[in-house]
Amino acid sequence: MTFLQQLQAQQSEQLALDGPNQWRFGELSQRAQQLRQAHPELAQQALAIRYQSLADFLCALLAFDGVCTALYLLPEQDIDITLPEQVVLWPEQVKTGPTQTTAVPITAAAPATRWFLATSGTTGTPKWIPHSFASLCRGVKSQPSQPLRWGLCYQPFRFAGLQVLLQSVLSGACLVDVTEGDALQRLQQLKHYQVNALSATPSLWRQLLMTNQLAELPLQQVTLGGEIADQPLLTALQQHFPSARLLHIYASTEAGVGFAVSDGQAGFPASWLTQSRSGVQLRINAAQHLCIKPATPPLLSQHLVVDTEGFIDTGDVVQLQSGRVLFLGRANGAINVGGQKVHPEQVEQVLMQHEAVLQARVYGKASSVLGQLVVADVVTKPGSDHKKLQSQLMQLCLTQLQRYQIPTRYHWVAELANNSSGKLSRKESNV
Amino acid sequence: MDLQTHIPKALREVAELANCQLIGPLTNDTVLLESGLDSLGFAMLVAQLDEDLGMDPFSSMQIAVYPRTLGEFIRIYQQAAEQG
Repeated sequence: MTFLQQLQAQQSEQLALDGPNQWRFGELSQRAQQLRQAHPELAQQALAIRYQSLADFLCALLAFDGVCTALYLLPEQDIDITLPEQVVLWPEQVKTGPTQTTAVPITAAAPATRWFLATSGTTGTPKWIPHSFASLCRGVKSQPSQPLRWGLCYQPFRFAGLQVLLQSVLSGACLVDVTEGDALQRLQQLKHYQVNALSATPSLWRQLLMTNQLAELPLQQVTLGGEIADQPLLTALQQHFPSARLLHIYASTEAGVGFAVSDGQAGFPASWLTQSRSGVQLRINAAQHLCIKPATPPLLSQHLVVDTEGFIDTGDVVQLQSGRVLFLGRANGAINVGGQKVHPEQVEQVLMQHEAVLQARVYGKASSVLGQLVVADVVTKPGSDHKKLQSQLMQLCLTQLQRYQIPTRYHWVAELANNSSGKLSRKESNV
Repeated sequence: MDLQTHIPKALREVAELANCQLIGPLTNDTVLLESGLDSLGFAMLVAQLDEDLGMDPFSSMQIAVYPRTLGEFIRIYQQAAEQG
């Protein structure tokens, strides 16, 4: 079934989106059909949908899943990512005209649309990962007896945000957009719209706890994702919401699969390595990476590493400890600052632009607040004034990097270790 | 070490390093999320105090408490220092 067909199973008078603009399920369905009717030229085309607002985005997805061969989910800001040729840009390259209101029958021969999501690659260059609609919906839980009111904290064109969007819409719940604003502003919106189900990064949950007002939300569902969930935070959330369903999600964007842990403990039980769960098999390889074999083979892409037995290397380093499998971080050295990925090479290249910097190595340091912080070991020209240099590097970074990518601490070192191939060693810090 | 003096001093230094503009004077009633220090600055403060004091109460606490005000934040460090 297409996305629109599934949405039409919901009660049309029920509120689907709440906020300054409200949308009922029936209105979304009608709008999606109008778009489809107005743009027959898009059938069997590949379409890139640019995010403008939640309602526009959702209506375009509903209209063109099952109509277009591919949907590329473009972020609102321009990122350095190339689209394949012959992809039509929505809404820029599509003629807008008067729309007709007659319902369009959904043909049985609808194409199985591939959904493409952008993910940052190993070197920081974003790449497109294909998914089928069925695989994106695999984690969606069926309709609860009392429909929930979900808060959307993640951008919906990213994997985690799309999961919340699909979960909400396909379970007949109501969704409130809280992607904008600081923790206090978001909390006010969550309270105002009486959100009772929320998925957020551990870093955002910590900030929401710091408002001291989180307990005022009638949360029935508490979900953590996008970063490693630590035990102190899980314990605090359990204490605040003892009757809520507490889940922390592990998702591999590239493999398009993941699983949820519901026992309130960090990591996942080691017994899962020997038992298949919902058809998903897990194992740890010799390099201590978590490998996943999904229930159905994923759509193959050039970026996916699959072994002969069908296991995908997730690139996440894990450790077995007291019957739990705990996540340690990314094998490629990518740093996760509050759910935002930082690629060390990109930061190193900026630091190296300063004439006093001879060598730089950037890596993550564990943070109990944001998961990880960016730290740099730097070799400088003899006689450099480190205090002055630190402030100059800050100014240099501010012009070329996002705030979360900028090193928070510098260690001035005499030399940096290289590995056997002559590359900068990423395994250990000099400090 | 006098934490009541050291922590606000460290907070001011980190704010400067993190390029954060503090709003108003720092008192024990200052609400951390409204102080002008953003989440990155706050994470840098906790990392700096870990280096200065050799402890990070947020990484080790069994019962997680997340402070709303600067006074509550200082008390968490004072309690951790007494226990440690």
